[in-house]
Amino acid sequence: MRCALLAAGLAVCPAAWIPASEAMTKAQIQSAAVADVITIPSPGEFFAALDDCGQPNWKQMFQPKTAASTASREQMALMLGVLVADGYLAVEAQDGQGVKNTGKEIINLAKKLGLARENDNDSQRLLRRGNSIFDFAENNDWSTLREELEATQNEVKLLMVEQKDKDLVILVTVGAWIRGTQVAAEFISKNYNPGLAGILRQPAIVEYLLSVLDNLPEKLREGPLIADLRKKLVAVLALVQTKDRAPLAPEAVQELAATMLGLVNAISSGEKAP
Amino acid sequence: MKKLVFFLCAAGLLAAQDAAPPPVTARSRALDLAGAFANDGYKIRDGFWSGTLEAGKPQFLQVNLFSGNEYWISAAALPPEAKLSVALFDENGLPVATEIFQDGASAAAGFIPDTSGKYFVRIALVAGDKAEFCLVYSYK
Repeated sequence: MRCALLAAGLAVCPAAWIPASEAMTKAQIQSAAVADVITIPSPGEFFAALDDCGQPNWKQMFQPKTAASTASREQMALMLGVLVADGYLAVEAQDGQGVKNTGKEIINLAKKLGLARENDNDSQRLLRRGNSIFDFAENNDWSTLREELEATQNEVKLLMVEQKDKDLVILVTVGAWIRGTQVAAEFISKNYNPGLAGILRQPAIVEYLLSVLDNLPEKLREGPLIADLRKKLVAVLALVQTKDRAPLAPEAVQELAATMLGLVNAISSGEKAP
Repeated sequence: MKKLVFFLCAAGLLAAQDAAPPPVTARSRALDLAGAFANDGYKIRDGFWSGTLEAGKPQFLQVNLFSGNEYWISAAALPPEAKLSVALFDENGLPVATEIFQDGASAAAGFIPDTSGKYFVRIALVAGDKAEFCLVYSYK
């Protein structure tokens, strides 16, 4: 780890690997900030961990989802998240055409949500992001693409806030997290080992997503897709909340993979998850 | 000819104004520091966390880290006279050992988690009364 600092001419503190001296108080734990854009890991971060521990065949795993035609804005927002995760998958698979197709789908969906209008200055930012994704994919610049995909996702969220659609923002995050978890759980269920299964232990994220879904306006919260999603996430929380930070058992991973696949299919088709 | 020289100078001046560096902010400083890690293959997350720090009032942020990944959590403060510290805690609030970098108003903590899950980042003002801060993180 020091190489990076030394290469940049920065000095690491001589007494490295130092733990902070005092534990946090209960009040500090309870009042810790949660920032969606930084507290929730990006699909890229998730896949990097999977890559390190499991060396998946990304080309085989890249099976992109297509958005069904819908008038439901919440379904479109969730699907945007799924597509962003698919973009990361395409990058891991080093599938340039796959990245371009996914990028195009993201922009099309953003247009349907009114986020990417040709004659609007703010929207131009998103269209430029779409072009960048295309260019980086053309040049096989995989590393930059990972950053560009996250930047595109954040641009979408920013535009949602600007057009007073802030309730949709969290749904993009939820969609991306569900798709990332589904891909990882499916791989781990077929290649189980406890180290890999530890990656899926994310109760804090599920709790956070449930809390923000609970705070959505009633009309949105009670819609069939979101209500079903919420119910499924409660079941997922029970699966991933293991004792003493133990990794998920093989059966739990299989159940998680099946639940997540049901959710991804429900998001892309608009039909209720099994 | 004089007109051409004047035009070129004026154009050069305008170009220079266009090319003026962006204002230094806590975020740009944090990104500068994170950029050092990017040279070593770390990818910088696009999101950031920012706010105001006061002496004796550290702030905490919840993050979720994966075993198998390596992380650098970088922060910077303004004014430059401020001095920051960054520390990491597990989900029970117990301190974990990190590699630390500290250079006045910039600080970073490097960490390789054994266990995936929730962690807390503490950012504190070690010198100075009040400072704007920004925190970013990178992983590989």
